[in-house]
Amino acid sequence: MGAEQAWLLAAIPAGMFVVLALVGRKLPRGGDYLGILAIGTSFVLSFFVLADLLGTEDKLGPITRAIDWTQIGNFQLRMGTFVDPITVVMFGVITTVSLMVNIFSVGYMKGEPRYWWFFAVLQLFAASMLLLVMADNLLLLYISWELVGVCSFLLIGFYWEKRSATEAAKKAFITTRIGDVGLLIGIILLWREAGTFNIHEIISYAEGGHFSSTYLFVSMCFVFLGAMGKSAQAPFHVWLPDAMEGPTPVSALIHAATMVVAGVYLTARLLPVFEVADGTTLIITIVGLVTAVLTAFMAFAQTDIKKVLAYSTVGQLGFMFVALGSGNPSAAMFHLMTHAFFKALLFLGSGSVIVATHHNQDMSKLGGMWKKLPVTGTTFLIGSAALAGVVPLAGFWSKDEVLHSANTEWGVWALAIAGGAAVMTAFYTTRLFIRTFMGEPRDAHVYEQTKEPGWVMTGPLVFLAFLAVVSGLVVFHGVGKALGFPGGVTEFVFLEEAERYSIDWGLAALSLLISATGIGIGAWMYWGNSTRRSTSLATSYPRTYDALRNKFYFDEAYQWCIDRGLLGFSFLVSWFDRYIVNDTGVDGTAQVTGFSGYTLKFLQSGKLPNYAMGIALGVVVLAFAGILVRG
Amino acid sequence: MATEVLWWIFATAIVAASAGVVLSRSIIHSAIFLIGSLAGVGAMYVFLTVEFLALVQFLIYGGAVTVLILLALMLTRMGVTGLPEKVNGPQAPFAALVGVALLSILVYAAAATTWPNNLTDKPFAISIETISEKLFVDYGAPFVIASALLLVALVGAIILARQEEGE
Amino acid sequence: MVPLENYLVLSAIVFSLGVYGVLARRNAVLILMSVELMLNAVSLNFVAFAAYLDPDRIAGAIFAIFVITVAAAEVGLALAIVIRLFRNRSTSNVDEAAIMKW
Repeated sequence: MGAEQAWLLAAIPAGMFVVLALVGRKLPRGGDYLGILAIGTSFVLSFFVLADLLGTEDKLGPITRAIDWTQIGNFQLRMGTFVDPITVVMFGVITTVSLMVNIFSVGYMKGEPRYWWFFAVLQLFAASMLLLVMADNLLLLYISWELVGVCSFLLIGFYWEKRSATEAAKKAFITTRIGDVGLLIGIILLWREAGTFNIHEIISYAEGGHFSSTYLFVSMCFVFLGAMGKSAQAPFHVWLPDAMEGPTPVSALIHAATMVVAGVYLTARLLPVFEVADGTTLIITIVGLVTAVLTAFMAFAQTDIKKVLAYSTVGQLGFMFVALGSGNPSAAMFHLMTHAFFKALLFLGSGSVIVATHHNQDMSKLGGMWKKLPVTGTTFLIGSAALAGVVPLAGFWSKDEVLHSANTEWGVWALAIAGGAAVMTAFYTTRLFIRTFMGEPRDAHVYEQTKEPGWVMTGPLVFLAFLAVVSGLVVFHGVGKALGFPGGVTEFVFLEEAERYSIDWGLAALSLLISATGIGIGAWMYWGNSTRRSTSLATSYPRTYDALRNKFYFDEAYQWCIDRGLLGFSFLVSWFDRYIVNDTGVDGTAQVTGFSGYTLKFLQSGKLPNYAMGIALGVVVLAFAGILVRG
Repeated sequence: MATEVLWWIFATAIVAASAGVVLSRSIIHSAIFLIGSLAGVGAMYVFLTVEFLALVQFLIYGGAVTVLILLALMLTRMGVTGLPEKVNGPQAPFAALVGVALLSILVYAAAATTWPNNLTDKPFAISIETISEKLFVDYGAPFVIASALLLVALVGAIILARQEEGE
Repeated sequence: MVPLENYLVLSAIVFSLGVYGVLARRNAVLILMSVELMLNAVSLNFVAFAAYLDPDRIAGAIFAIFVITVAAAEVGLALAIVIRLFRNRSTSNVDEAAIMKW
């Protein structure tokens, strides 16, 4: 078992999906143990892949394996897997978080209808996501990209009895679809010039300077559209908060740790091409910054725990794009990994709170949960601290890396904006924690019924909290070497970036200051879980507060566009279809035929002399024509 | 010289008789004119030195076909009353136009073409040995098929025309 | 002797008269007689070609023999049909046997 068999990592969950989909309903306990088994196997196998990769000579990978898929004309399509350090990092993240979510779901989804189907789609999702990160050509990547979108749709709309859930699933799918069309156009444009779908051939083609620069700029903008859609960057961010309608484990897995980072992964993979196309990196950075700031503002006014976390996810994804746009994919992947761990932890923690309070997600009814939910509270604290960037937790190191690369590449203004977003992140995270866990409970009835969930749900929380603490430390060379990565982790992820990494202590101090500022403001405003200060602030600036609460009216704007633009256009199209295609084309043709038949039937007089006249006339005409032609 | 004059006499006779067939008001008269026309064509065959064909023409057409026609006329009691009936149908003028058009096309085609191998204006003589040799050797198969055709036509005519029970 | 065109024109005249007869006459037997005229004219044409143009392959005369044969057969059958028609409808006008129409 080595990296060449990496496809097994995706094949095993895929096979389990088929099994569960077919017979899951009849299995005892809905087959959840089978799902855990499949994911657990992939988790274990990913270590083998890692070991195999480390065992290659000094150049770490890549290890590829491809089969001939089909031949169209002169074009030979090969599909295969590609394993290199980025892939292995993604493997680790995906399988770890999937495994934790699968175990957690056994407790969370207990008693829900269609229990077996939940686990089946979780397997399909894991398979498609794993396939996405090991695809060696853009076509296979696009196929798995769409597959993860489908799984997201199925899982968001899991409670399809609820109208809001189906609407949210539709919204997610349609919004990402718009991005996906861009991605497809970008892929086709790249193929048209480079003649291949294979990612590495495209990269070398671009680095060889064979693309014309405007063409490459346009194609990569389209490709980035796909990344924006899937990773919910502004203005495509509208679907992610609504996606919280799905069960909380789904939010943890798909909308925090794995699917939404597909856009980050895609950009990281194609980063060499982005760097060749001038201007795209600036666009990426700006999109990331704008999104981070915008969603941080929106998170201020949310009262639903999951929605706050959702906006926070979008903002952190923005951070990852800032790092990518600054040309530092290792920082982005590092932040991706740490964010996956602590964000999944936060989501699962909120899931634990939700189950404990019997499905109450509104912060205005919570408070003082710490006493009743000690394990959840502690792990949630660790996760929030990591998100806010408290040293020495993982979030501190990765966020520091992102700020450092933004500063190096773009200068102080980028650092200032990113830093501002980081302050706000710390602020609303503190707000979330205080209002949920600290102070006096707001709703006594809810408080009475709260009970800590069992170990099947708190176990994953503990494990993820452990990862959130230690995963940041791999950034040090010593730790990396101790774990067996030659040259430390950053050299592992992207060989050329080893020189870029160095701890800038001044910047580290700055990030610490940023986190402290955010936490301090949050603590001051909500001390003792009173909303006195924040409510007075809200009433003093009502219009701002409304804008924040309504998420800057993005949804209303989009709906207006759809109502006016799209439906107006479809009215035109339907008019065309009814009056021109149907009445004139279809009915008209039939009526012409009928009418001509009606008039021509008088030729059939039944009289012999008439028919003889017809023959004779025909002969005369033909003879005449013959003479004319032949002279 | 004499043959030429004779030829023209016969040609005129043929045309007159054919005109009589199609223009006559009495059906019986048309039948008689038909006999004349067929006989004239037979004479033409003699001019073209295929006497055998002339013989066949007289025998078959003059003997069998016209008798058959007269027989049919008698069986269906046409023209028996002797009064002139309305023999022309409603599309007679158009028919005249078509006929004239056809005639002009044919005459034009005949006149405007240069015919090969014809320098002496004289027909080559055709002997009966040639005819028989060709008929029974080269075209033996069509000959046999034609015989079969005659048999089938005979049987078919009998079946078509017989009287059934109760008629 | 006369040139070939004479024969051709003669047969053309007879043929056209026959065509007129087929189209203009009402009686079925008269139509049949006109058809006979046409066949005759055609045979004359064939034999004229055979005699004037190609004495080695006198296919024209052979063809005329066959035309006569087939014409005879056809007359027999057609008259049988006419007799049948007369029996059914007591008329031999082709104008009146016009039921197969719209």
